[in-house]
Amino acid sequence: MSVKSQLAKFTAKSSHFLLRNILKRGGTSLPGKLAVKIDPEVLQTIEKEFDLVIVTGTNGKTLTTALITRVLRAGGYTVVTNPSGSNMVQGIVGTLLTTKVKPSPNGKKPVAVLEVDEANVLSLAKAIEPKYFVLTNLFRDQLDRYGEIYSTYDKIIAGINQAPNATVITNADSPIFARGSYSNQRIYYGFDNVKEADFKDLKAPTNTDGILSPTDNSVLHYDFITYANLGRYFSTTDGFKRPKLDYAVTALNELTPKSSAFDLDGTSYKIAIGGLYNIYNALAAYAVGRTFDVSPADIKKAFEEDKQVFGRQESLNVDSKDVTILLIKNPVGTNSVIDMMETEKDPFTLITLLNANYADGIDTSWIWDAEFERLHDSRLASLSTGGERYKDITVRLKMAGFDLDGTYQKTEDILKAIDQAPTKKIYLAATYTAMLQIRAVLKNHGYIQEEY
Amino acid sequence: MADYTLELAHLYGDLMNTYGDYGNIIALRYYAKQIGVDVDDRLVSLNEDFNPKAYDFVLFGGGQDYEETIVANDLKAKADGLKEYIENDGPLLAVCGGFQLLGHYMEMADGTKVDGIGVMDHYTTNMTDDQVKTLNGSRLTGNIVIKNNETGEEYHGFENHQGRTFLGKGEKALGTVTTGQGNNGMDKTEGVIYHNVYGSYFHGPIFTRNGNLAKRVLATALSRKYPDINWQAKLNQVPTETF
Ligand SMILES: [Zn+2]
Repeated sequence: MSVKSQLAKFTAKSSHFLLRNILKRGGTSLPGKLAVKIDPEVLQTIEKEFDLVIVTGTNGKTLTTALITRVLRAGGYTVVTNPSGSNMVQGIVGTLLTTKVKPSPNGKKPVAVLEVDEANVLSLAKAIEPKYFVLTNLFRDQLDRYGEIYSTYDKIIAGINQAPNATVITNADSPIFARGSYSNQRIYYGFDNVKEADFKDLKAPTNTDGILSPTDNSVLHYDFITYANLGRYFSTTDGFKRPKLDYAVTALNELTPKSSAFDLDGTSYKIAIGGLYNIYNALAAYAVGRTFDVSPADIKKAFEEDKQVFGRQESLNVDSKDVTILLIKNPVGTNSVIDMMETEKDPFTLITLLNANYADGIDTSWIWDAEFERLHDSRLASLSTGGERYKDITVRLKMAGFDLDGTYQKTEDILKAIDQAPTKKIYLAATYTAMLQIRAVLKNHGYIQEEY
Repeated sequence: MADYTLELAHLYGDLMNTYGDYGNIIALRYYAKQIGVDVDDRLVSLNEDFNPKAYDFVLFGGGQDYEETIVANDLKAKADGLKEYIENDGPLLAVCGGFQLLGHYMEMADGTKVDGIGVMDHYTTNMTDDQVKTLNGSRLTGNIVIKNNETGEEYHGFENHQGRTFLGKGEKALGTVTTGQGNNGMDKTEGVIYHNVYGSYFHGPIFTRNGNLAKRVLATALSRKYPDINWQAKLNQVPTETF
């Protein structure tokens, strides 16, 4: 490390100290900014200290990052991650610089597992060369902010091209990930839980995208679909098909709203969270773990021991009501939440809160692509709405054929909705800022202790 | 089984359905159901024929640039059928990319010029075109309110487009912009009306937010198919969703 780098590192550390302890702000963004200003070389220093794993994609980044971290730690690696959700480049550099790195207990190089926004993959890869890219999925997500999926994918590819020696651990079930020219080694994970005798000839539902074959732009068919545009796809016009899997879900054993039991390459695992999409996150973490030589037994331990990692889907007790808060932000994510509610065995109440602030996406059109109609086949007993855009979501659900039990225009009134719900089980599905608002109310009334 | 059925073609519904366009079908079905009418929707996509006699309503939604170029290419084979449908007063809702592709051409953000099928007289330049004197280089994004000058109806929506559309001869605007930018940010027009074609940049579900327009178009489609019934009167009994 050059003197300059050491100085940069010192500056980052002390500014972090200042921020944290004197200004009482938990920020990880500023220290990185200071360090990069002083010396870009400091980044090379980071490269020498860590194997860098970048996790990117539309949905599931946070949980996948957390699971990979647990899995690698269970395998004896020292792991640094960006849990603060600050996934801008500056913040990441700040995290890496201000973390004390102990050698890995297993004697191998420490690993940095970082959640990175699709748009930031290139700038990060330019700064620090990753060893692995983990791609979760690509769906349209708040187009007013993120743009179209093909241009988003191009940005990720540009990042991958910055690091030709890195390995790409990618979701084989997503056709868009079969696109793009890069020479990197690829490791594929996906679902192989359907027997050939049960294969059908399917097409993805109309409200998904990214369903064109990269060879000739024909619409792809599927032997089976897991959800949205994910599944075992093939082309009817040429030999193009889903690549051979290196790591696979080989059986789905039991799916409930709060747990998922499944086999990966023939071994049984369980995670304390519902939703098929979360099995993809676990599968990605498993693929990374196996790539790093973590044993199935250690991966099992990582999945099953620590429940805290699944904190996003949190359950609260509100005056003896069992309330689960679910974040919704785009059609595929919402459909996944609906999938999960379909596995609920008890009658339940759904309260849906819609906001359209910048962080939610200012265009509410996406609610029309979420398949709320499917809730007719669930044990839904009562339905109400709220949020700043309560009108939009109310009409959406009305046109889906539901009679609403209430519309709550003020966040404070959601407590009434909870109180008056006819069931013990309540799902609160909310967009990001609506979730923050309802959490604040729940915290004010003592139902939540910790900060989100 | 209802006694009356509307056959709806969802043009390229698997490729051009980026902004909740499908919501328009949900809304049409919602109003139709209340007056005893079924809406039967069928996907008409790549390499499939469009038979102008088979449909009572056509929805042509918006897509991402990439899909739009694929669709533009395939659309040429459907141009004659669509022209016949439109000239015979077939009701059609075209949103965003669908609206653009019925015109002469459109320019992508990167300058690529994509041929439309020219069954209508408008054309679409990109946001950096010299002709664009207002907000050159930026997308037109945000909430929008327009007023239909003939009916006095007000429509609410959300626009997000880089393309700038200029209407041609024989084309009327769907409305005049009250708030927002509209077709090109310059001439206060939003959308298009030509025969029974309604075009708009309002993202996706224009019918869901504007029940007045949904009901008007539904009455048009039903009266064309079942002329002996006063559909407008029936629809007047149904509450209108608007927000
Ligand atoms: Zn658009």
